[in-house]
Amino acid sequence: MSASKADAVVATPTQPPRNQAPSGARRATKPPRKPSGIVKSVTPYLLVAPAILGIAFLLFYPVVRNVMLSFQHYRFKQLISRSADYVGWENYQEILKDSEFWEVTRRTFYFTAVNVVAVMLISTVCALMLMKLGKTMRILVLVGLVAAWATPVIAATTIFKWLFRSDNGVVNWALVKLGFDYEGYTWFGHAGSTLTVVTLLIVWQSIPFATLTLYAGLTTVSTDVYESARLDGAGPVRIFRSITFPILRPIFALVASLEVIWIFKSFAQIWAIAGENGPINEVRTLPVYAYQQGMSAKLFDMAGAISTITVVILAVMLVFYFRQMFKQEREADK
Amino acid sequence: MKRRLLVAAGVAAALTGVAACGSDSSDDKKDNKPAASNAPAAGNGKTVRVWLMKGSAPDDYIAALKAKFEADHPGAKLDVQIQQWNGIGQKITGALASNDAPDVVEAGNTQIAQYGASGGLKDLSSKVTELGGKDWLTGLSDPGKVDGKTYGIPFYAANRVVIYNKDLFAKANVQPPKTRAEWLDITKRLNTGDQQGIYLPGQNWYFYSGLLKDEGADIATKSGSAWKANLDGAPAAAASAFYKELQALGKAAKDGDEKTQPEVLAADGGKIAQFIAVPGEAETIIKSNPALKDKFGFFPIPGKDASKAGAALTGGSDLMVPEASKNQDLAYDVIKLINSDEWQTKLAQATKQLPNKTTLSSAVTADPGGAAMMEGAKNGFATPNSPNWASVEDNNPIKAYLTKVMTGTDAVAAGKEANASIEKTLNTKN
Repeated sequence: MSASKADAVVATPTQPPRNQAPSGARRATKPPRKPSGIVKSVTPYLLVAPAILGIAFLLFYPVVRNVMLSFQHYRFKQLISRSADYVGWENYQEILKDSEFWEVTRRTFYFTAVNVVAVMLISTVCALMLMKLGKTMRILVLVGLVAAWATPVIAATTIFKWLFRSDNGVVNWALVKLGFDYEGYTWFGHAGSTLTVVTLLIVWQSIPFATLTLYAGLTTVSTDVYESARLDGAGPVRIFRSITFPILRPIFALVASLEVIWIFKSFAQIWAIAGENGPINEVRTLPVYAYQQGMSAKLFDMAGAISTITVVILAVMLVFYFRQMFKQEREADK
Repeated sequence: MKRRLLVAAGVAAALTGVAACGSDSSDDKKDNKPAASNAPAAGNGKTVRVWLMKGSAPDDYIAALKAKFEADHPGAKLDVQIQQWNGIGQKITGALASNDAPDVVEAGNTQIAQYGASGGLKDLSSKVTELGGKDWLTGLSDPGKVDGKTYGIPFYAANRVVIYNKDLFAKANVQPPKTRAEWLDITKRLNTGDQQGIYLPGQNWYFYSGLLKDEGADIATKSGSAWKANLDGAPAAAASAFYKELQALGKAAKDGDEKTQPEVLAADGGKIAQFIAVPGEAETIIKSNPALKDKFGFFPIPGKDASKAGAALTGGSDLMVPEASKNQDLAYDVIKLINSDEWQTKLAQATKQLPNKTTLSSAVTADPGGAAMMEGAKNGFATPNSPNWASVEDNNPIKAYLTKVMTGTDAVAAGKEANASIEKTLNTKN
């Protein structure tokens, strides 16, 4: 995930392609030897072939296999006997009829919405704040953000689990010291409090990427625009609404859509916090549900169908997002 | 007796013939081998791989077993690989589905049915008589069956007892209790100052299912072809109310299970008066904190009245032979050896676990932990016999149910939610 996020940053439209042109030009002026026609046309394909094969094996093959699985009757018995019958849409029909699936889907949407809104709000504030900070403080905050981003998911999740432990967690200790009645409070005993902790964790993990990307965008906006706005008497809110946001709208859209993907498909945090001892059946989202059906219940076909539906939902949401984004860009160009 | 030996020898000889297929040294073998009554399968440089779980058998037992097996099977090697409990279900599933499965696999007794129903295990029904199956503990042999066929051969059993600190009991001048009421009473008296009356994590569902059994209910019962879970009834509420009352007499987390209990007990250094575990756990704790040596006593979980001890869920392990094993005859010989009275007794004495046959119980009754366990085993019971039960445990809704009740949620409402989850899993067709 982090790799694809990083790629996206590079591809951000507001960043001009700085050093590509010169280096390419220099090389073009002094060709060592002119390759013959066929070598010239084949070489590029040969060069990308390993990467393509790698992606095909690690990404396309599992996706295709997963989709095939979802159209088979494939459970523990079929895993052992290695022969499964195709059953058409049977698995999908069964899932779509199941109220449990709809409950999980609803929760996944609410959960994603709450998290994405929180991440975007906090990150925007953080990015604007970074612009105002002096050099030393800014570097400190940036280092902190990168450190938070670099913390492995499971490590961070384990730490949060410890922080919120009921018997000797530091959060309960602090709340008790502050005079609240949180002695032995079981954060992971109930769905609401468990989801609150998971949300805190995911927001904490998401903020660095969103903040850094928005901050990078903010640095590209010319200071002249702000100065003239201030001269015209615009306050900070007005400046953000009328200048910053419209200019950086593509970046906001991009970050938001990446966060939607990231949060919608987040699995490790929820599973590691609630899977073993928590109320997992009341906090599970679609990816967790798919995993449960596959790995615990050994209904690999159902897991295949649920994850395929999850991918389709994400794809539809993103198509909507990107269409919106491109439309705005076209309007901006006019 | 003679006739049975003859039959066994005949069967084994026939198996040897099968095993010898594809090897050209069958002539040498006939010469090498004395006409022993147990007629072991051919070795021929084969390696028999056995997966045992961590803590099931001590190292010197495994070494002796290896020496004995290899002496009986010249040319064969026994390779015992110790497996960790964490993630073992997926590892076994993967092994059963592979071409290169181990030859003997140990699995928890409640897990066997799912593997048996999957078709990944060799049907060992024809061996039951030879192995003395009529004396097996039913808490081990019943869960090893699917539709009347035996896939799991009982290995050892253990059930939970109360382990107490003898010094703290003496200081408070209390005796091991015989009834639930007495138990609550002494635990209250022991729960003073920084001393905990009992360390009982909120999610010990093994203990809870025993309380439920004492109230006359099972976690789930089958009526016709459908399973019905029973966590919303009056027995479930009564059992969880008792659990809650007892749990409050200590400082264990309401939202944790018993997995980290040994570490807690070892680090605690003698401030916990009682905890619930299999007797073998006392050894584990003493190993990491030798200061606690000789401090622990054992008594069976008290029943509702003094006439009998509380019902105890039979835990333990079975051995199974994967269908994908390439050395099934040698694998069976390993199981046969482990199942023999001699090696069962050795194992029970070394590990303080119950041997797999009722006839061998004298091996442990001299030990206080074993004696307490035998009392509970008299009312032993097993988890619902369904291939899907393992899936329920894999994602156990009883744990979340218990935490809810401990933290004040209405037991019937919490029970309804747990029921729905259990019923859905048990009633899924495979």
